Parts: sequence; structure tokens; C-alpha cells
Amino acid sequence: MSMADLLNIEDLHLEFHTYDGVAKVLAGVDLRMQRGDVLGLVGETGCGKSMTALSVPRLIPMPPGKITAGRVTFDGEDILSKSEGEMETFRASHLGMIFQDPVTNLNPLFTIREQLVDSVLYQQARGQKVPGRWKGFMPSVRQLRQEAQERAVELMRLTGIPDGDKRIFEYPHQFSGGMRQRVLIAMALAGDPDLLIADEPTTALDVTIQAQILRLIRSLVKQLGLTVLLITHNLGVVARSCERVAVMYSGRVVEESPVRELFKNPKHPYTRGLINAVPQKDVSRGGLIGIPGMIPNLIDPPAGCRFHPRCEHVMDICRRQVPAATSVGAEHRASCFLYPEDA
Amino acid sequence: MSYLLEINHLKKYFPIRGGLLNRRVADFRAVDDVSFTLQEGKTLGLVGESGSGKTTIGKCILRLLEPTSGQILYDGQDITHIKARELRRLRSEIQMIYQAPAASLNGRMTVGQIIGEPLWIHEQLRGDAARDRVLELMSVVGLKEEHYYRYPHEFSGGQQQRIGIARALAVQPRLIVLDEPTSALDVSVQAQILNLLQDLQDQFDLTYLFISHDLGVVRYMCDEVALLYLGKIVEVARTEVIFEEPKHPYTQALISAIPEPDPDLQREEIIIRGDLSHTFPQGGCPFAPRCHAEKLESCDSVLPPLLEADQGHLVACHLHPALSASSASEPA
Repeated sequence: MSMADLLNIEDLHLEFHTYDGVAKVLAGVDLRMQRGDVLGLVGETGCGKSMTALSVPRLIPMPPGKITAGRVTFDGEDILSKSEGEMETFRASHLGMIFQDPVTNLNPLFTIREQLVDSVLYQQARGQKVPGRWKGFMPSVRQLRQEAQERAVELMRLTGIPDGDKRIFEYPHQFSGGMRQRVLIAMALAGDPDLLIADEPTTALDVTIQAQILRLIRSLVKQLGLTVLLITHNLGVVARSCERVAVMYSGRVVEESPVRELFKNPKHPYTRGLINAVPQKDVSRGGLIGIPGMIPNLIDPPAGCRFHPRCEHVMDICRRQVPAATSVGAEHRASCFLYPEDA
Repeated sequence: MSYLLEINHLKKYFPIRGGLLNRRVADFRAVDDVSFTLQEGKTLGLVGESGSGKTTIGKCILRLLEPTSGQILYDGQDITHIKARELRRLRSEIQMIYQAPAASLNGRMTVGQIIGEPLWIHEQLRGDAARDRVLELMSVVGLKEEHYYRYPHEFSGGQQQRIGIARALAVQPRLIVLDEPTSALDVSVQAQILNLLQDLQDQFDLTYLFISHDLGVVRYMCDEVALLYLGKIVEVARTEVIFEEPKHPYTQALISAIPEPDPDLQREEIIIRGDLSHTFPQGGCPFAPRCHAEKLESCDSVLPPLLEADQGHLVACHLHPALSASSASEPA
């Protein structure tokens, strides 16, 4: 089973050393993705969803970060034991990433051409996808750049940027927010990634542009057979774009299920609270239910289930023991003592 | 019927300077001929994408920005050009709550000082009297007494927004301009703050101008919604009407773009092309370059006026002619 997984994160523990103490950012994350999966990773600020995703390309600054336990395997390879050089090759040939803010991720001093061609060349070189290199001849730099530029224009067309052959000479400020995000998606796709990690790709965008970008990601999944890990705090985005969802709370995945099942039949009290907190169509004035309290302090997290101080179903055992993930339906797992193992 | 707030033909242009001697070469029309009314005790939602001018309108109402032209009536009184002394009195009646709670609170002041400052400015209240009022306000918004001597950075986003709300309430305002009060917050906290705002509205009989880009939140909070596009109102109606039968193509597209947390929801997804662009054909409808509806000849040449297409439902679109010729005037 685990051989068929593209990505397998097992019991990952991550700590950050701060002046105030050791923040236990991830406390046993389990996450699996198969090829072709579109998985939404949902949670509130500080729940560790970005950190989980960044552990795959190993982009967590260490120190102050420290992985204290757990394994991350990609296509059967152990990522955490790779050397930095191996990681560069690995990132270039298998991963693509898009981030939240399309403004800060493009250099304002260079044209799109320079930035996009660079990333095409880099990813080819690092991923050892340069044609001919291993055939014993090296194409000229000019020829390489020319080919890379053609590839860049092709990528722009793929990501829905009109007039790519002309707009490639423009600077980032001449692009709107949505178009910049498309450029970043094009960059992420430059190395033909197996896994696209999208960290809040639409959070900084307006709703109409958000809809465009989500539609683009969906169509790329269909066209290129991408595997996507979509990180978001917006349940609506997940409902629209993903097939499976993993809900995180304070460093753990508390529930994981196919999308429809999760919204129809949420099991974990936190997931229920989260869904009820979104102002939906038929909620009338005063009918919105928030989750009382705040997200826990990561330096001194509550013992047992980290959600127990905010949970309305809290039991004695919740304060002492960490609940394990149990099956609560078809492909549906929740980590909560309300659902005992044998049930 | 009298309104607490009445905006007539409000315009705010920002100069674009350039050329020799840095002259004014053009205007950036942030708010372009906007009119609406707000009844006491009600909530009006101002909705639009970034750059649509919604925050500028809010700032003009508080006179934090000087409007270029137009008229702002508060409680029947023209406040567009009142003098500084009266303005100070006015600002104890109109308050604003900002989007980024951390940036709108002075990091060098304690919570007690932040909430107490308006009491000193407007009522010359100091010492124990001020302290009692501040503590009372803090309990109203759900802060604890021990928070009095803490600094804003010690609080989470939701708690910071509560401080901002307490500060706005300190002077007992009648109208509060809420500028994206929850867009920086997580959903579970957003729900808490929205409920708090509703409770306060009932308790103190407040009137809200609710500025937001999140239609889901607006649907929950507002009695009436006005949609802005490039500084112009494209549609105004009661909230249920806007969401049940949106008439303007832009409204339809926005509503279809709300990410609803319901994977079974089957609906026609209208994806509008392009982005908000201030370079639309002059004279025509600003939305025409992105519009997905059938195009009329007049779309590119004539600016559609905001007309009553249905009872209490104003639309600025050539596809929706006015109810009758007699009502084809601006809403007064």
C-alpha cells in the first residue's frame, strides 16, 4: 500500500526553538497522497499546514526548526536523509510550489522573460532534463536560452496568459495580481513537477480572480495529471477544488476524508465547528456559531487532545491521552475519542 | 423617511501627476458619483473588489479624506464642509473600525490607554472615572480585566479586533464604518466577531456601514447591499434580493464566485475575464470589457445610469431598463 503512495508523511514532529521556549509546531502529522490526488490541507493560522507542506521540499529553516521524529518519503525515497545537493535535484525534478503573495515572489527588477527562462533552465539543469547533455554534446548557451524561452511562452499559454510571446518582455508591475499568480504557476510547472504544492494560492486575490485561478489549477490537474497539495484556510476553496481533505488543528491532522463526505458528515468536533463558522446561505441573523476560545499556545500546548479546551464534547480521557486516528467511514478517519477504535 | 446617512453624488478623484513641472495630468477616479442612503439601526454592505473605492467612501464619510465633490448628509446635516471644531464633535458620533487590527492600534500604548484615549479627547474623562468606563467597555466586547495593562502585541488577531471595537464604542457613536473588520481573521474567530458586532448593534442601536469583499459575510451581516465597481455603484437592493435575483452581470459573477463550503452545490459558474482595469472605454459601462452577458451597442458608448429596475432594486445596466419612465431619475 505504502509503495503506491507518492507522498507519505508519517508521524512528523517539528519543533522551533524560540526565546520563549520550544514551540511544538508539528506533533505527529500523518498524511498520504497518491499520484493524481488533489488534497486540500485546511486549518487556521498556526495549525502547521504550511510547515507540513514545507517539510516536503525541506524548506523549513533549521535551526531554529528541528525535526525530532517522523519520516517523509516521496515515491519511496526518504527525503529527510538526503544531502542538500540531492535535495536541489529532487526539488527541481519533482516539486513545484506556488505561494500566497504573487507580488513578493517576483523580482521587480527583471522581466518575466528573465525570471521564467531562468527557472526553466535551472529546473532542467538541476533535474538533469537537459536534452543532449548525456548524449555527449552540449548545446550552445544561446540555443539553450532560445529553447527555454519557447518553453516559457508555452508555459504562459498553458497557464492562460494571453499574448505570452509579447508579454514575456514585460516587468512584474505590468501584470495584475491574478496574472502574476499565473506567472508563478508557470514557473512552478517549468520542471514538469510530480507534485504541486500550492500554499494559499488565492488568499491575496479577489473572488473573481480566485475563481479563475482555481479553475486553472483544476484544468492543469486534468491536462497534466498533476498531483496537488492545496493549502488553504478557506473551506469553500476546498469544496470547489479538492477530492480529499485533511483538517489540521495545532500540529496534527484531526480528520481526513473525501470532500463530499467531510462536508456531509463531519466527525471531529473541530471540523464541525469550522464548517458552522462559515457564513452560509441559510444562516439567519445570530445563527452563526463560532468556536469558543483561541488556538492553543504551541510552547505549552494542552495535554492530551489539543482541542479539548475548546471542545463541547470534552471527556476525561481527552485531557490525558492523545487520540489516535480511527476509521469512521469509507476512507474517512478522525482523531477523536468520540469514535473508539472498535466502533 | 429620514436617513441617518445620505450620500449624494460623492466623488473623490486623486490627481495623477506627471510630465513637466509635475502637473496634474489626469485624475484617478476612486469614487465616481456614488449615492446611497442608510437608515438608522440598519446595516448597509459596501461590496467590491480591491480598487473599487469602498474604503475611500468610508474615509470620506469620516472626513479622513476630503471629497472632491458631492454631499454627505449625516442626520440631515450637511457634513461635507464643516469646520474642525464641529468635525471633532461629529467624530464622536461616527467611528471606524479597521481591517488590520494590529496596525490600527498603537503598539506603545496599553489596552487601557488605547480605549481611554477617545474618552479623554471627547469627554475629558480621566483617572478613575475613565478607568471604570474602559473596564466596562472591555467587558462589553469580551475582554478581561487583567488585559487592561497589556500591550496590543500580546493579543491574538481576534482579541486585537475586540480592542479596536471597544475603542470605537468608547465615545458612544451612532454610526460605525466597519472596514473589512474580519478579513484578517480565521473563520472561527470571524464568527465570534461578527456575532459580537450584531449583539452590539442590538444593544446600542448602532448603524453600520459594512465594507467587505466577502459576500458570504455580507449576506450574514447586512440588511441592504450596494455593489461597487470601479468607483461606481452597479447594483443596490435588500440583501435577500441581491442574492436571490441579482440583475447586474457583475453581481451575478461575484455571487457565483463565492466559494461555498458545499461540494454538492450545483450552480452555473460564471467566470469573468480579465481583471479590474481602470482603462475602460470612456463614456461606456466600466464593466463592459469583462462582461459575460450579451453586449448591446450602447454598452461601449453610454454609461448606464443607476435606475430602479424593480421595487427598491437599483441596477446600472443597459440590459435592465427602468420600471417606468417616471422613476428614471436618480434616487434622492
